[in-house]
Parts: sequence; structure tokens; C-alpha cells
Amino acid sequence: MTALIEVTAPPALEPSRRTWRRFLQHRMGLVGAAMLLVALVVAVFAPLIAPYDPYESVRVNILDIYQKPSAAHLLGTDDGGKDVLSSLIYGARVSLVVGFAAAAIALVIGGLIGIVAGYRGGWVGSLLMRITDFFLVIPDLALQIVLVAIIGPSLGTIIVVIGALGWTTTARLVRSQTLTVRERKYVMRARAIGAGDAHILRRHILPAVLPLMLANMVLVISLAILSESTLAFLGLGDPTVISWGQMLNFAFGRGAVSAGAWWALLPPGFAIVWVVLGTTLLGTALEDALNPRLKRHHLEAPGGDVARDRPVLDIPPPALDVAAPILRVRELAVEFDSPDGPLRAVDGISFDLRRGETLGLVGESGCGKTTTVLGILRLLPPGGRIVGGQVWFDGEDLLSLDGRDLRAFRWTRLSLVFQGAMNAMNPVRTIGDQIAEAIRLHAPDTSKAEANRRAGELLERVGIGRRRANEYPHTYSGGMRQRAMIALALACEPDVIIADEPTTALDVMIQAQILELLGGIARDFGMGIILVTHDLGVVAQVCDRVVVMYGGGLAEENEAAPLFATPQHPYTQQLLLSFPDLAHPDRPLRGIPGSPPRLDAMPPGCRFAPRCPYVFDRCHVERPPEYPTAVGGRATCFLLDPDEETRR
Amino acid sequence: MSEPLLQVQDLVKEFPGRRSLLDWLRRRPARPVRALDGVSFQLRAGEVIALVGESGCGKTTTGNLLMGLLPPSGGRVVLDGQEVGRLSRRGLQRLRRSAQMVFQDPYESLNPRMTVGDIVAEPLQVHGVGGSRAGVRERVEAALTSAGMTPVSAYLKRYPYELSGGQRQRVVIAAALALEPALLIADEPVSMLDVSIRAEILNLLGALAKQRGIAVVMITHDLSTVAAYADRIAVMYLGRIVEHGPTRQVLANPRHPYAQALLSVVPIPDPAARRRPVILGGETPDPSRIPSGCRFHPRCPLAFDRCPIVDPPLFPVGPDHQAACLLVENG
Amino acid sequence: MSGRGGYLLRKIGWALVTVLVVVTFNFLLFRVLPGDPAKSGMRDPRLNPAAVETLRARFGLDKEVFLDLESGGNPFDTQFTAYLGALSRGDLGTSYAFRDQEVSTLIGQALVNTLWLVLPSQFLAILLGAGLGLFAAWRRGRPLDLAALTFSLFMWSLPTFFLGIILLVAGANWFGLPTSGRITIGNDFASFWDLAWDVGRHLLLPTLTLTLVLLGEYMLIMRSSVLDVFGEDYILTARAKGLSTYRIIRHHALRNAMLPMVTLIALNLGFTVSGAIQVEAVYSWPGLGALTVNAVADRDYPVLQGAFLLIAVAVVIANLAAELIYGWLDPRVSEG
Repeated sequence: MTALIEVTAPPALEPSRRTWRRFLQHRMGLVGAAMLLVALVVAVFAPLIAPYDPYESVRVNILDIYQKPSAAHLLGTDDGGKDVLSSLIYGARVSLVVGFAAAAIALVIGGLIGIVAGYRGGWVGSLLMRITDFFLVIPDLALQIVLVAIIGPSLGTIIVVIGALGWTTTARLVRSQTLTVRERKYVMRARAIGAGDAHILRRHILPAVLPLMLANMVLVISLAILSESTLAFLGLGDPTVISWGQMLNFAFGRGAVSAGAWWALLPPGFAIVWVVLGTTLLGTALEDALNPRLKRHHLEAPGGDVARDRPVLDIPPPALDVAAPILRVRELAVEFDSPDGPLRAVDGISFDLRRGETLGLVGESGCGKTTTVLGILRLLPPGGRIVGGQVWFDGEDLLSLDGRDLRAFRWTRLSLVFQGAMNAMNPVRTIGDQIAEAIRLHAPDTSKAEANRRAGELLERVGIGRRRANEYPHTYSGGMRQRAMIALALACEPDVIIADEPTTALDVMIQAQILELLGGIARDFGMGIILVTHDLGVVAQVCDRVVVMYGGGLAEENEAAPLFATPQHPYTQQLLLSFPDLAHPDRPLRGIPGSPPRLDAMPPGCRFAPRCPYVFDRCHVERPPEYPTAVGGRATCFLLDPDEETRR
Repeated sequence: MSEPLLQVQDLVKEFPGRRSLLDWLRRRPARPVRALDGVSFQLRAGEVIALVGESGCGKTTTGNLLMGLLPPSGGRVVLDGQEVGRLSRRGLQRLRRSAQMVFQDPYESLNPRMTVGDIVAEPLQVHGVGGSRAGVRERVEAALTSAGMTPVSAYLKRYPYELSGGQRQRVVIAAALALEPALLIADEPVSMLDVSIRAEILNLLGALAKQRGIAVVMITHDLSTVAAYADRIAVMYLGRIVEHGPTRQVLANPRHPYAQALLSVVPIPDPAARRRPVILGGETPDPSRIPSGCRFHPRCPLAFDRCPIVDPPLFPVGPDHQAACLLVENG
Repeated sequence: MSGRGGYLLRKIGWALVTVLVVVTFNFLLFRVLPGDPAKSGMRDPRLNPAAVETLRARFGLDKEVFLDLESGGNPFDTQFTAYLGALSRGDLGTSYAFRDQEVSTLIGQALVNTLWLVLPSQFLAILLGAGLGLFAAWRRGRPLDLAALTFSLFMWSLPTFFLGIILLVAGANWFGLPTSGRITIGNDFASFWDLAWDVGRHLLLPTLTLTLVLLGEYMLIMRSSVLDVFGEDYILTARAKGLSTYRIIRHHALRNAMLPMVTLIALNLGFTVSGAIQVEAVYSWPGLGALTVNAVADRDYPVLQGAFLLIAVAVVIANLAAELIYGWLDPRVSEG
């Protein structure tokens, strides 16, 4: 399920433009940049802005000390009778100089170490990372204090010490990025081409790493400024320059608190906050823009997944007799939010599932098959919404269920198996535990022992010994994880299981085993199965009926035999023709020209028209409705319109 | 009959194993992983061979060794008379011009910051081929044309994100063709593409072989498409080739039980097809614990008493068709 | 070496190596110190060479630094081994500033005071930070989350000592809390509880300051950890099973989010130390931090050396503990 629908359209801008756009949208980043700019301006133009020169030595009179703010001294005077405002303004210079210089040193060291460690790997890389870890563990302030105390507190020393100890986060970041890029297929391809290290570093690694380094540098600047002010406050600042930390050191140590001279204490402190806040905002925004965290979350969306204003269909609820289909889907429509407006991933699909039947839901990427089942299961991700249609499960209106009723319904009537990727089950809990959890959730009176016993039984049923119930998912192979997912799906004896691409990533023999297992379970338990897949071979093997989807809607639906023998929709025909058939190995391979439509660029009219070999004018304009076909089933194609025949 | 372009002889590749603390205390040595345990085949110019197998069979490792990306632990790879693996750094550089690789993932194989033109020109720049700017440009355009990306001018300045999966894979192929290699190794080139798009790429690779005399090694797990482009097929299991022969023959009449089982379970898009699938139990064993005797015997439905003891070599079962099974020892 | 046993050995091994490097580094660092009485004594031109030699011998400065391969005796009879020997006996020298006090005694007392400050703050900060972080992640994008993020950002940008000053002024002026030291000097304490109350009043503001600073950091870490977990496939499985959001968080998200949290807390121990040093400086709380800062001012190098060593080693041990806890919590840990 990690290969969930590509909801957003592929980006319309090249990578660097996209990054800029993201950055500009990050208001906080702009605020941070502005704050930093103000500080820079103040520092550069200090002699012009400051009312007095704090470096000038003046004769001072005891009455001048800790004067309250006045017209002559907007922020009052400090312990030495000097104007606080002027010191504040000149202090900006020291902070910024130290910040930038130390960060530059840290960047160079960290960058070099990071790139070498990430690119070389092996024992060199390990050694460098050990050294980095060493410096990470040692508390930096303590070491800074010791070093500055020994060497002597001059501005140069402070810059070097802060820089020489502040490279660790940069190194880690650069190393991890270098490693990521090094493992990218295009670097391996470059190596396969014969490119040497210099070429790869220059053309592939550096362009990817440099922007991140610069973003990180901004954050390192904020750390450096904090370090400098802390050292100055603790008495280790350069006594010949004025810095904010120094101001606080003197004020605090020379009775500003007892004199109530808040003007000597608050301004320098808040000045530090201003600059550090500005750089942090800027740095975070830059990092976010370069490495956007695209993670979606799988919890319920706060707004609910069913649009309240969806059109009510004029369809009577189905009769509740045994022969009736257990699942009825009518005109289901699902939309997703995107930066360019809502996109319709599913635009009106209808089908039934009878009891004990195996239905294949087939289509290529982007056709909407996964979205359809997620909609039915009420498991749409945040941003997804059911905007039309009706779903009945055994007579119950599934879309009107909410909260507790929905949770009670889940798993006991309808469960899900998806690709058993590494993290489909919680890696820090045992398999047996997670199966037992499902059992006890829906039958709270079950004892722990009983639930564990049932879990063991289920694992036996799917071909994993009950002894492996106490193991963790990472000890299972891919095939076993898939079996475990099936065991989990059976835990509450549902009426229907939806299997979404359950065998796509598996070897063909394991796939055969899993399909045999599913078939056996369907038989033994009389379970209905919806099998979502792109593989027509699999469908032919196990499905009783088939629904073919294209462009978010139905293309064709029929029982398996007639669908494969006499497909009615041109897409089905083309798809079947392009599907390799081992029984006819001499048939040349053919494909369907063009590609499936993108969600943000749906053709008006029939979705398949741009690629259809039988297209005519009407197809580009109107969307074809469903027509019954001569071989049973239905298809959405104007060729099946009885009037069309006469017209042509 | 021309000399084979590519000769692989008894290729072996071992990776060091890992030891847990318990192993170390008990002085148990780490078990090495034998990814390849004696693979041999030949390939002529213009021929296409498909290396087929499930995960863990060693087909990808074979591809890496053919390219010289990894050194062999035993056996040899001889390309155009030169032994890959004994080559110096410079020799390996020159080898790159004769052998090129097409990888599996079209979405990851292209640097998102480089244009199509840059990507295809890169191999030329690395090897200093083409001379002037115009010369490079000419070759780039020729490569793109061969890969079917026409009109060329429309694509030169595009970025990967603007292209579909099929188009991206064509760019990868064009980049591989830029140096006019003699050998092309394609590692699962279409497994990440939609089914309706796979045909064009596979047909392209087949055409390149036929029309330009490029030898192609196709590494794949998809048996249903091999007949369309491969002259020969080699079925691999746990680091060995267990059956080897002309594609039509092997598909029509597989002699090794593993090949038979594999072919019987490949899904066919025809519900009316009559088949008796042989579904093997269990999974492919770990390559650090290769079974004794015939490595397939624990899962083989036809195993008998000699199988756990004797490790069968490839026996001839037809013209140019071999299978490594004691059952066909006598043809 | 792989496996859980291998993990254990590797981590302990590296911790030992780190401690050794720290000890050696400490030794080397203070070799370049000015103000060593023997050395300053040696530079005094009034002393005759014989007296200088006696002084040197007395302070062991006549020996080789690391390895003595020239004289006929034990090659390991060097300054470094003498240092190691002294360390193993717990002898860290004598303070320059407090002429009659052993360094080990001084830093021992200071350590206890620091622990009184750091342990409650760390504990509270982790508890509150994890809770707030979890809530913020759960209510991502909503007012609570934005407030929490703003708070964290602010705490991050505010130097710890400045926060200390602000709270000190507020605490003293509005609540009459004491502003320095550990106890009120000159008081007669009628009972143990009176003493405890007094110490508690002194401890309140420093603890509050340190807790606030650490809280911001931990909240951010937890929030980001939890958000990462929310995007994992098994959360979807849990939701599909019918678990309520509360149950999903309690039985699936929490455990998995704690893992990176443990690692990140371990990495941030230096941050805790830095915070403690600043807080002790502002409030004159007599812990290791205050001792360090005062030693710098007094040029009391033996104390500085001893305090730094203790701080560094403590952090290495705490880091090791965190890594071992991680190893215990995560069943996937095995590979090198």
C-alpha cells in the first residue's frame, strides 16, 4: 500500500523552480529571512545608526550608571554608564561575525567529512562516523569552556573553537544525503557507464548535497550565535569587543537585577532571540523546501471521508434475500484534494459481488481500482472524499456508518489484505499478538489464551506453523508475510476479503502458492473475494467475474470466460492483446499506444478515446454510459449503442 | 560460425557471511553466501539470451559480474577476447564502451536534475568520445533515434519528470547505446512499467539485437514474454543454470523439474486453458545453505534416492538444449 | 558481528574506547596549561637548577609523557601512566583555589547537587515533552499543535541563561523566591524538613528553567517521531482492523515512536549538560556546572580538569544506557 495512488499530478515545474516555490510558500521562512536581514542591516550600518560609540572611552560618573531610559539614552545606561542602545547595535556585529565565521568553518569540516564518509564507505567511512559520534557525545559547551579557558578568550579563538566543535550535525546530514544519492540508480548507472569518482561527485553528488548543506549552514549559524552568547555570559567572551552575551554578563554580574535595571538585561537577551529565531525560521524553511516531508498519515481525517453534500441516488436499497449480492456499489465517485483543486480519481463505478464469488478488479496504474476499494472500506487517506454514489453491504448502507458502528463493522464483515511489505504489520509486536488483537477487539469476552490459540490456528491454516506466532515480522520472508496478512484478514471470519495486489511483488511460484491458498479459503469458508490486480493472467486463473476499469470508471464487466473469449470494450480487447500469453509464445508483443490519462488531464468524453482504434467523433464529446452486451455483462462504449449501429 | 562475443565459464561469486555473537563464541565460522555457483553460457553478436529465475537465483549478480561491477570469486567472463575481472582500472574503463547496462527502475535511473540531452551525452563525456560539441550532439541524436525517441529535438531539453515511464526507459536505453556497445545487459527493464507499455520496450531491445548485431543479455523473471525476443533461455536456480536451450524448445518441452514447475504456474490470460500446475512447496533456500547433491532436491516432486547425493551437471537433452537433472542423464 | 549479543558488545566496546579517548584527551589538554605551580616555579630565576629539578621530580614532570624507551627502567613509567594510576585511585589532584581540598571531594559534592537539579528536570521534561509532542502530532495543524510548535521554537531561540535571568527576576519579585545558592546562609534549621523546604525553595526556579528548556526540545522530537509513525503501513492495517484512533496510538504508534525518541534523547544529552551549566551559573546552584565556571574564573585547573572528565564520562555512560535501552526495545536490532 506504499504504492498508493499518485494523487497529485506530476509537477509542472523543474526541480529547482519547485523548490523555490515551496520556499516562498513557507511564510515563516520569509519572516525569518526578514528578521535576519534587519539584523544584518543594523550590524553593517552600526556607526550610522548608533547614537554613541560604545568603544569610545568616556569619563564616567557614578550617577550615570544604570540610568533609566530617557531621551538621551533610549534604552538607558549600563553598569559602566554607557548607552545601552549603542552597545546593542554594535553587539550585532560580533554576534553575526562569529555566527557566520564559525558556521563557515563547521560547514567546511562537516561537509568534507560527510562527503568522504558517505561516498567512500568502508572502514574510512566507519572511522569518520565514529569520530563524528565521539564529538556528538561529548557535551559541547563543557568542551568549549575548557578549550577557551586554556587557549584564551579572543574572538578568533572563540570562532575557531565553536566551528571546530559544531560540525557534527552537518557531517551527519551530508553523509546521509551523500549515501542516499550514492545508492540512487542513476549513480550506479553512471558507474556502469565507467564514470570515475570525480565525475560522479561533480555531476551527481555535489549538486544534490550542496543546497542541503547551505540550508543546514543557516541553522548552524543560529547555534553558533547561541554558543557565543553563552560563552560570553559565562565570562569567556573576548573582553575587547562588545557582544550581547558580554552585556548580559556584566549586567547580571554587576547588580542590574538588584538595581532593577531591566533595560540592561532584557534588550540584549531579546536581541539574541531575534537573530536566533530569524535564522532558525529561515533554516527550517530552506530545509523543508529542499527535502519536503511528503509523508501522508493513515489515521482518520478529522473531517470525515464522506462528503455531506453528495447527491442522493434514486435507487431503492436492495432486497435482503440470500441470493442477493452481498456487496452493491452504485455510481461510486471519489475525489482527492490537490494544490490545483479537487481531482476525481473514481468517477462513477458500479458493480456487485455475490456471496462466495471471486471478483477481479483489473486495470493499469491510475485507473482508480485501489481508490475504489479504499472508498468501499472507508479507508481513504486525508484529502480523499467520497463525493457520490452508494455502497450497500448485506443491506446496510456502508457510507452512512460512522464512529463506533463503522469500527464494529470493520474486519468482522469485510477485511483487507494488501501487499505484505515490510511494514504492513507493526515491526515491534509479534505476529500472533497482532492477530489476537483483532480477535479480542471484536469479541471482547475472548480470553488472551483463547485468542492466542485461535491466532495459532489461523497461522497453521495459512501454512505458517503456529510456533512462529511469537516471532516478529522482520523474521518472516516476503511470502510468509503475505500469508500472515491473510491469516490476520481471516481473524474475525469476514464475509468478504478485499485483496489489493496481494502477489505483485512476489515470485511466480510463491504467487501460485498464495493464489491457491486464497482459492482454498474462498471455497472452505464460502467467502467472497475482490481481487485487485493488473495481471490478467491471475484474473483468468482465480476469478469468477471481472470488472475492467479505465480512467476512473468502468470499461467492461462480465463473467471471466466470456470476457476473455469475446471482450466487448476496445480497451479490454487491446489489453488482452497486449498481455503476453505463454500458451502462444509466437505471438508478437504489442502494446497500446499512448499512456493512461492523468487525473488532472482527463479527456472529455470517453476516457479511452485518445488511444482507441475504433474512435469516432461522438467519443471525444460524450461519455458513453453502460450498455448491456450480447455476451452478458456490460461495457461503456458507443459501439454498443444500438442506435449507433443504425446511424453508421 | 563466428566466435562467440561473450563467454562465461564456471562463474562463481561468493559473498562473506555474517556471524552472530553466539557463532563467534562457539567458534563457528561465518557461512559465505554463494550467489553464483558455476554458471556457463555463450553469446554471439546479435543473439539474445534470457536469464530467467526467481529472486535469489543469482541472475542479477550475473549481470553485475558481466559488467565488471564486481570481481568474480571463480571462473571467468570473456568479452570480445578480453577477460573481464582481470582487467586493470583502465582496461575496465575501456570495457565500459563495449558493455552497457539498462536497469530496472526507470523512475530512479535518471538524475532528475539533468536534461535528456545531458543524460545521453554523459557516457560520451566520460569516455571522451565524440570530439567536438557538434560530434557529441550528433551521437546523442543518433542514440535517441535508435531508441525511438523522435522527433529528437522535442526531447533534448526535457527533464525526466516530464516523461512517462516508457519514455524514461527509452532514454536509459539511448544512454546505453550512445557508446555503440557490443553487449547490452538489461536487468528487468520493464518490470516497473504498465503491461501495455512493456511491449514497445521489449520489441525495441529485440530489434536492436537483430538490426544492429548487439548481443543482449535479458535478466527477467517474466517467462511469458521471453519468447517474443529471446533466442535462448537459461533457467537459473540457486546460483546455477538448471536448464538451457533455444527458447521455443525449452518453453515447449522443459526437461528440468524446476523449469517444468515454473512454466506450469505462470498465469495465462485464458480461463479455458487446461493446465496442471505443479505448485512447489516452501521457498528457495538461503544461498548460504545450499542443499547437498542436487540443490533442487528438497522441493522437487520427482526426487529419488540419488538426488541428495549427486550434484548433476548439465546433460544434453536435445540440439543445443541441456538440463541439469539425473532424470535426463541419458537424454 | 551480528545479533543482539553482538550489538551489546559493540556498544559497550565503543563506550569504553570513547572513555579512553576522553581520558587521554583530558590528559593532553591540561599538559599545555599555564599556571602549573611547578612550571611557574621553574621559571622563577631565583631558584637554582637543583631546586628546579627537585620540584620537577616531585610533580613527576621529569618523566616522559607517554612511553619511555630511552632510560633503562620500565617503559611505562611515564606521566601518562602516573595519571592513569592516579585516576584509578580516584585521585584527581588538589584544587588550586581551595588549597586544602581534594578535587575528588569537591566534584563529588558538586555532582550530587547537579543530580538533584538534572534528574527531576530531565524526567519531567521527557514526560511532559512526550505527552505534548504526542498530542501535537495527533492534532496536527490545529491550534494546539501550532501553539506547541511556537512554544518550542521560542524555547529553542531563547538562550537558557536568559530564560534563567527572566525567571529569576520574576520569581524573586513576584514570589519572593531565593535567587542563589542551595540554602539560605546563616539559617538555623530546626528539623530535616525545614532544611528540605529551604533547599526545595532554592531548587524550584532552576528546575523550572531547565525543564522548560528541555521540554521544548523533547516535544519537537516526539512530535516528529509520531508523525513519521502515522505514515506507516501498519497504521492503515490497524485502522482497517477497526481500532479506534486512541487505541491505534496507544498500542501501535506510541511504542514505535518511542524508539527514535530514545535515540534522539541520547544524542541530546550534551544539550542537557549545556543547559545545566547555564542554569547553575545563573542561580549559583553549587553543582558541577557552577564549579566549572568558577574554576575558569579562578584558573583552578585541577578542578576544571576533573569536572570536565566527570561530565564527559557521565554523558558517555548515559548515552550507552540509552543505546542499550534502544537495543532492548527494538526487536529488529541485530545488524552491524
